[in-house]
Amino acid sequence: MEKRVTLAAGALALTVIGLMPVLMIVASTFYVAGEFSLTTYQALLASSKQLAPLMGRSVLLSLSVTLLAMMVGTPLGVLLGKTDLPLRGAFTMLVTLPLLLPPYVIAVAWFAVLGSTGWIGRFLAPTTSEFLSSAFFGFYGCIGALSTAFMPVVMLLTIAYLGTVNPRLEQAGLLMSRWPSVLWGITLPLIARAILFAAVLVFLLTLGEVGVPTFLRYPVYPVEILTQFAAFYDFSAATAAAIPMLIITAVILVLEIRLLHTSALELSAATIGRRNAPIELGRWRFPLFGLALVWTLVMVALPIAELIVQSASLSAFADAFSRASDSILRSVVFAAIGATLLTLLGFFCGYLIHNRTLPLWRSIDALALFLFTLPGTVIGIGLISLWNRPITNAIYATPAIIILGYLAQYAVLPTRMTAATLQRIPPSLEQAAQLCGASWFMTLRHIVAPLAKRGLIGAWIIAYIFCLRDLGITLVVYPPGFDTLPVRILTLMANGAPSLIAALCVILIAVTLLPFFVGALWQTRAGRPP
Amino acid sequence: MKKNLWVVLLVLAGVAAAAWWRFHVPSETQSVVVYVSHDEVFSEPILRDFEKETGIRVRAVYDTEETKSTGAMNRLMAEKNNPQADVYWANEPIRAEVLRQQHIAAPYLSLNADGIPARFRDPQGYWTGFAARARVLIVHKDENPKPTSVFSYADPRWRGRTVIANPLFGTTTDQIAALFVLLGDDRARAFMQGLHENGVKLSPSNGDSADLVARGQFAFSLVDSDDVVNRMKQHEPVTMIYPDQGADEIGSLIVPNAAVLIAGSPHQDAGKKLIDYLLSKETERKLAFSDAAQIPLHPDVATPPGLQPIESIKIMTVDYAAIATKLQAIQSFLKSWAES
Amino acid sequence: MANARWATTMSMIEFRSVCKEYHGRRVIATLSLKIEAKERVVLFGPSGCGKSTVLHLIAGLVIPDAGEILVNDELVATAKKNLREPQQRGVGMVFQDLALWPHMTVRENIEFGLRAKRIPKKQRRQRVKEMVDLVGLDDYLSTKSGELSGGQQQRVALARTLAVAPGIVLMDEPLSNLDDASNVQLRKEIVRLHGDLGFTLVYVTHKRDEAEALRARIIFLRCGRIDDASSAVR
Repeated sequence: MEKRVTLAAGALALTVIGLMPVLMIVASTFYVAGEFSLTTYQALLASSKQLAPLMGRSVLLSLSVTLLAMMVGTPLGVLLGKTDLPLRGAFTMLVTLPLLLPPYVIAVAWFAVLGSTGWIGRFLAPTTSEFLSSAFFGFYGCIGALSTAFMPVVMLLTIAYLGTVNPRLEQAGLLMSRWPSVLWGITLPLIARAILFAAVLVFLLTLGEVGVPTFLRYPVYPVEILTQFAAFYDFSAATAAAIPMLIITAVILVLEIRLLHTSALELSAATIGRRNAPIELGRWRFPLFGLALVWTLVMVALPIAELIVQSASLSAFADAFSRASDSILRSVVFAAIGATLLTLLGFFCGYLIHNRTLPLWRSIDALALFLFTLPGTVIGIGLISLWNRPITNAIYATPAIIILGYLAQYAVLPTRMTAATLQRIPPSLEQAAQLCGASWFMTLRHIVAPLAKRGLIGAWIIAYIFCLRDLGITLVVYPPGFDTLPVRILTLMANGAPSLIAALCVILIAVTLLPFFVGALWQTRAGRPP
Repeated sequence: MKKNLWVVLLVLAGVAAAAWWRFHVPSETQSVVVYVSHDEVFSEPILRDFEKETGIRVRAVYDTEETKSTGAMNRLMAEKNNPQADVYWANEPIRAEVLRQQHIAAPYLSLNADGIPARFRDPQGYWTGFAARARVLIVHKDENPKPTSVFSYADPRWRGRTVIANPLFGTTTDQIAALFVLLGDDRARAFMQGLHENGVKLSPSNGDSADLVARGQFAFSLVDSDDVVNRMKQHEPVTMIYPDQGADEIGSLIVPNAAVLIAGSPHQDAGKKLIDYLLSKETERKLAFSDAAQIPLHPDVATPPGLQPIESIKIMTVDYAAIATKLQAIQSFLKSWAES
Repeated sequence: MANARWATTMSMIEFRSVCKEYHGRRVIATLSLKIEAKERVVLFGPSGCGKSTVLHLIAGLVIPDAGEILVNDELVATAKKNLREPQQRGVGMVFQDLALWPHMTVRENIEFGLRAKRIPKKQRRQRVKEMVDLVGLDDYLSTKSGELSGGQQQRVALARTLAVAPGIVLMDEPLSNLDDASNVQLRKEIVRLHGDLGFTLVYVTHKRDEAEALRARIIFLRCGRIDDASSAVR
């Protein structure tokens, strides 16, 4: 009983926080000047000639980025998560960095490197450099910047799920064959679901991305929506233009659910605590090390080094702190609160999806993913139209509105991570507690939560990062005087000194890494023998 | 160990509650909420000075035209029925006009507006202009002869060597709309068509245009005067030309900042005080002599180096209200123009 | 066991025309059976014949599609509905994978059910001591359960199940992962414990020798039904 009520409450919370604002704006597209009308949709249909190629470009870009991210991310994940490659941890950290930043920062940094005065551009003939920068400004630049930014999603999920494969299955294969064919024939098929999920995430993240295509002048569909908002203040046209994105998202979701359900592969249950020894690379160790090093240097280290060099002065940091110390503090506090509430909400929603306690579990899963892929601007506008009333000023006029936005947009991350973690806990452990007479809450507290601890901490950190780098929602709903660091960076970018912007980006990176350091400390302490 | 997680969660919840209490702002009377479209780098120091001088706490939402963010203006529209902002500091009067037409602005005639020429004010006080930019040409030093008019864009001499910011955003939109008002739809459309035929390139913002010209990639561009002043301060090889200054020419479009009182907002009195402060000579002086490089509109405030005093510029004679109306009418034309 | 608090309640089990389907496949088909209090019963049959499902139905972990389940003459489950939650049935279970909680020590594992019943700490300690004496695990109280050998884990699972003195104990192939020597020894101990404590024991196995060694009533299950012919021969 308590179980059903609690899970229903979690599902309800997500529905109210996430779905209501969206319904609100969808409804508003049908009302023009207070009356039911389809004029906004007629206008949308009329401009479909312009919109269709934009959507085509969006899909093409998303497909390309997804393909590239998979092609690089999966092998890299195997290399870093499964072998004895030197400095794996450092590589993992470095390659993950771009994911932690708003993607447009990557594009800006890359441009600084490639441009005619940049580190690389400087050494090229003017014609070559011009060719490079004209290729960079457009489709190829978008692919480069976005796949750098989102590839870590594939890599990290690959690493995470590699750890869940039952080592005995691999051992059985190793008796008959060598590692490459075991990886190809056994390990990778076992984590195919995770890789597919990663691909879906990358596709939808790219589809909703506006910062990079705007900066690189590659007109895609969501930029068009933003243009509707920004240039014409045309609320209903912008919302109606968002509907095709909702449809594409829904189609992708249905496809994903189909694929997941035809897949009979189950992650093995009893794998807690045991792992195979890393694959010995032997004579391949150093060539592969070199390859990883070059990739990391070119894609990540150079652009970020450029940022650091630009910011490398005391006065830049002094200026950054005097301008933005409040925003830095707020970013950390909001992200920590958001991550904590997200982990809680995600735990219950994830439990519901894993346990299928209520028949609507599938809708909750789909809803969370759907909200994640909506452009932040759309959710933000929805939040305004839902909460901006005199009665609810206690929410709308305070940072609570930002937190609600985080909960709506990012709930899928802790939800799915919890569901994946719970799948690794054999159901008998929970049943045994039940038969010992423990209530559901007691079982959660003493059995499920401790066993899922690593997964939950991981979920918290991921939620923290996504809250911290959020721009779309915060920009639209932050209460006066409560901006966060990414918002402040964006507003200061207009005529702000490049060194100041670079310093703020470096601070943003540092703040983002904070929980990793705390987490690492925790790990070393927990790892010590008692 | 298993207790740890719950302890951590509890502590975090405690921190959350404390932070909530700390950050929750009661609706005190001694505060004012302002939405700002002027660059944060320049506007924030002004607002801090206001806090220091009056003791009224300023809570701001910033927005920039360069990043095309959907901030201040959309929020004002979306919050129409439950306004949060007391004051809107627009970086050009057209948005202020749109607010008046949408009944979001409230009239306020500030005493500090005396001295600001009437052409830069709404007669009923729905908005009041201050600290302006001129729309000027930024021209590369090596360019001879130099262009003198916005119509030079259509001159075959500069075919393929000119750039203009995307006319869907910012002051460039205002400029095109002003041309439509001034020339009439047919001639203005023909002019825009001429731009296409003469190979004019589009850049994302005025700042980008100015950089492209400074780097020598283009001969000239139509930008804001502060963009040019800043490039000149950095000793870039560019000069500023006020376009169309001849006796029978149309003159340069002047784009003042505009202060708007929001109708039905919570802190009307504090809002009026802030508007008084923004319209003061002191604020104009600060905005003129900082990197914002704005042209003062009060006659007795000195003009910073590199700029001409407002009296000596031939100003385009055009009604801002008419521009605002025209701007909304030519939206779809601009969109298809920018995309073709 | 001198403590009256831990006296085992008499519990009988009755199935009346119980059906259970998974994904359209009928696992239990109109099963009716009766197990007397304190009886020792072995459910025997090939893999996938529904033996484990019967245990889960008794425990309340699975809800029947049709029919009625009674424990001690009280209706605990009926079609699509649990009338008594698993916590309230006085049923203990040793799972096939033992289901020891890997993050807990042996003591914590055994103590958990007592904590759930809000037994005061002093009595809890005493009871844990009784249990480890009973199964012979005294030296391992503060060892994490994952660090024990298979036979020792088996004993922990037994001790944990018996600690709360359930009226019914269900065992789901509990000895399947043990070597023959431990298997034989533990089998004997289970029989001894059943004799000493007087609970109702339902034991599932697919091994004939194990089934016979327990010297119990054997019920043959085949395709979710009782194979009367085979049961009768026994």
